Amino acid sequence: MPPRVPLAARRALSSTIVIRFPVRSRRWFASSSDAPEIYDVVCVGGGPAGLSLLAGLKASPVTNGLKVALIEGQDLQKNRLQKDASLESFSNRCSSLTPASVRNLQEIGAWTHANASRIQPYQEMQVWDGVSDARISFDWDTARSPLTPRKPTQPTTIAYMIENVNTVTALLSRLEELGGVDVFSSTKVNSIELGADTEKLDFSSWPILSLSNGKTLAARLLVGADGANSPVRTFAGIPSRGFDYDRHGVVATLTLEGPGWGGLDHKIAYQRLLPTGPIAMLPLPGNKASLVWSTTPERAAKLKSLPPNDFAAMVNAGFRLSPTDLEYLHTLATGQEEEIAWRAKHTPFNKRSIPVRVTDVQPGTVASFPLRMRHADTYTGERVALVGDAAHTIHPLAGQGLNQGQGDAAALVRTISRAVQTGQDIGSTLALESYNSERYAENNAMLGVCDKLHRLYSVESGPVVGLRSVGLRAVNAMGPLKGFFMSRAAGGV
Amino acid sequence: MKPRNTTRALRSIHSLTAPTRHRPRPLPYVRPTVSISANPAPRLSSTISSTPDASKSSVDPTEVSHFNALASSWWDPTGPSRLLHLMNPLRHDFISRCRETTPGSPASSSQLRYLDIGCGGGIFAESAARLPHTQSVTAIDPTPEVLKIAQGHKRRDPALMASSKLTYLNTSIEDLPPPSSPEQAFDVVSLFEVLEHVNAPGPFLDHVIQHVKPGGWLILSTIARTWASWVVTNVVAEDVLGMVPKGTHEWSKYVNEQELREWFRKKEGWGSNGGIKTMGVVYVPGLGWKEVPGGEGWGNYFFGVRRDR
Repeated sequence: MPPRVPLAARRALSSTIVIRFPVRSRRWFASSSDAPEIYDVVCVGGGPAGLSLLAGLKASPVTNGLKVALIEGQDLQKNRLQKDASLESFSNRCSSLTPASVRNLQEIGAWTHANASRIQPYQEMQVWDGVSDARISFDWDTARSPLTPRKPTQPTTIAYMIENVNTVTALLSRLEELGGVDVFSSTKVNSIELGADTEKLDFSSWPILSLSNGKTLAARLLVGADGANSPVRTFAGIPSRGFDYDRHGVVATLTLEGPGWGGLDHKIAYQRLLPTGPIAMLPLPGNKASLVWSTTPERAAKLKSLPPNDFAAMVNAGFRLSPTDLEYLHTLATGQEEEIAWRAKHTPFNKRSIPVRVTDVQPGTVASFPLRMRHADTYTGERVALVGDAAHTIHPLAGQGLNQGQGDAAALVRTISRAVQTGQDIGSTLALESYNSERYAENNAMLGVCDKLHRLYSVESGPVVGLRSVGLRAVNAMGPLKGFFMSRAAGGV
Repeated sequence: MKPRNTTRALRSIHSLTAPTRHRPRPLPYVRPTVSISANPAPRLSSTISSTPDASKSSVDPTEVSHFNALASSWWDPTGPSRLLHLMNPLRHDFISRCRETTPGSPASSSQLRYLDIGCGGGIFAESAARLPHTQSVTAIDPTPEVLKIAQGHKRRDPALMASSKLTYLNTSIEDLPPPSSPEQAFDVVSLFEVLEHVNAPGPFLDHVIQHVKPGGWLILSTIARTWASWVVTNVVAEDVLGMVPKGTHEWSKYVNEQELREWFRKKEGWGSNGGIKTMGVVYVPGLGWKEVPGGEGWGNYFFGVRRDR
């Protein structure tokens, strides 16, 4: 069980981005001869949430007149997905986009810019208890009551597997098409300070950003889309609380022996809930799949050190062998492949209820990251709004992280749009209130559910295993209830 | 303040000849929790209307000091003006709704000139000046201290300072020179949360309406004078919840929607062809201001009337 000690937000100070932290000087450019360039929205961070926000603002006739800037420390062009990228190779950073997120990307005109051949919709999800084997399967046909069967026109897709680089590239392409965004790529934020009250103008509530390219910007609304260690959040003095799960997520791009039990047109996502954390295999186009295996830091280190054949064997074992077998396999120095081949022969399982075998792992894609839960105390302050990981970091168990960021961006676009239509100052806390109230409760509920699931399935024995298995089987048997859970996971279809 | 209905109502009718002063102080109230009973004596009688009084009206010194004390917190989003801030977007919704009904002038096609009477700290005036279809906003208030707050707050927005769309004037409506011709008057004259502070609404409105252009709208918001509004504004909002500063409201000064409707019905050249619109609103704690059909009969309401072309 991970420690439940809430960590103060000051961890953010360990950020690698060079920032002079929040000396909220009101005298900043009193002595500077250069007046800052004034923007309506300055977005720090060019990830999926920040880009989605800017594309949403520029795509709407209500808000496209706003003067907006994007600041990104990395080179946005360098990190783009190449048009002719081979389908034999996929990034290890993938997300499961919900239909709600996809609908938003369609509405802002970004989805058509995505490389469709690299997106894999899936129609079924199999989740089972690694200790008791109690199982729940999700698909839209069984999730309805027998009286209201699914109509052929209704969607069958649960979610869409997409590389993050594909999402980001699509959003960048859309932004270029829309135009009107001042993009400061490969540019760092050197400092953020409050402006001065001069004779002519009172900038005492305005964040003034000094950039590494020598420019200074004044932001009517400063959006922190700058990740878990958000310097914008630190500037605003908004604490972020949470804890580390003492788990790491091991990711990799896998090659399978075939497209899966449902063929190319009916793809299946698998998640086995092991006591050390869930192991998930999510379908990519063709014979490819994406792995997310949450496990202890020691086991993650072990998995990363294995040669490709042993790593692939361990993933197969993760979906097939008992927790006890898995524990033993992690202690072996080498030879996992042979050991697993022998043990698999003596372990009974239904082949069709588990993913097809992994045959290889794409070189250079095995990586791991620590799992954390963080939630900012609020998403808004005077002239500040936080979106995406700057506001919340979630356990990856339900694959909701990137979707939450997309939901944030869409909600903030709605809030800004309403403020523009009614002549409010879009940076005022009053104008931003509706964004905070809409998103905070929603994200907090999702963080809570994923955290509870993590804790529930960390237990290896005793009555909890029996109870959770009964619960899982019961939900599985009740179509409409399952439909409710699926709708929630799909972002409210 | 207790509703000594007959006496007070009579007094306010009789006080029409006394010096009048409107108080630019807004303060809406919260959701009524009582059933509505009798509607007390009328306050805005159409028979008492008169032509604008040439003599200058005076500002009640006690009311000025009341608002001076509130001035510094005018823009505090959690302060005593919070309910007004929350109501502000609805004002624009209502104006758009009124203007959409004006024949031959689509709501967004022309550049509008606004006159905001009793602008206070500038909540509405600033927001109107930010709208893309606004040509100018002239915002007036007789209380110097709140105008200072308004001017100071305007300096926080470089867009407002650069555009010179927004002009504040420290004057009462009686002292504002009337337009040289009807066409020089304003497209939108707004009077938000002012009427309930006025001693003699008839003559006051006569001053106001000469600033409305033919085809333009007078838009106001106020509170109906009912038992529900008395309990809610004076007891619940001021005493129980403390959301509204004490001593802000004088229930007997409230004006009912039917009284306004009747007053304008008898005015030549006003509100014909569907040129009168109303919208009732209530504040629901936790949800904000919500439109309530029929709410104009017993609580806070918006009233819009168009000057005939």
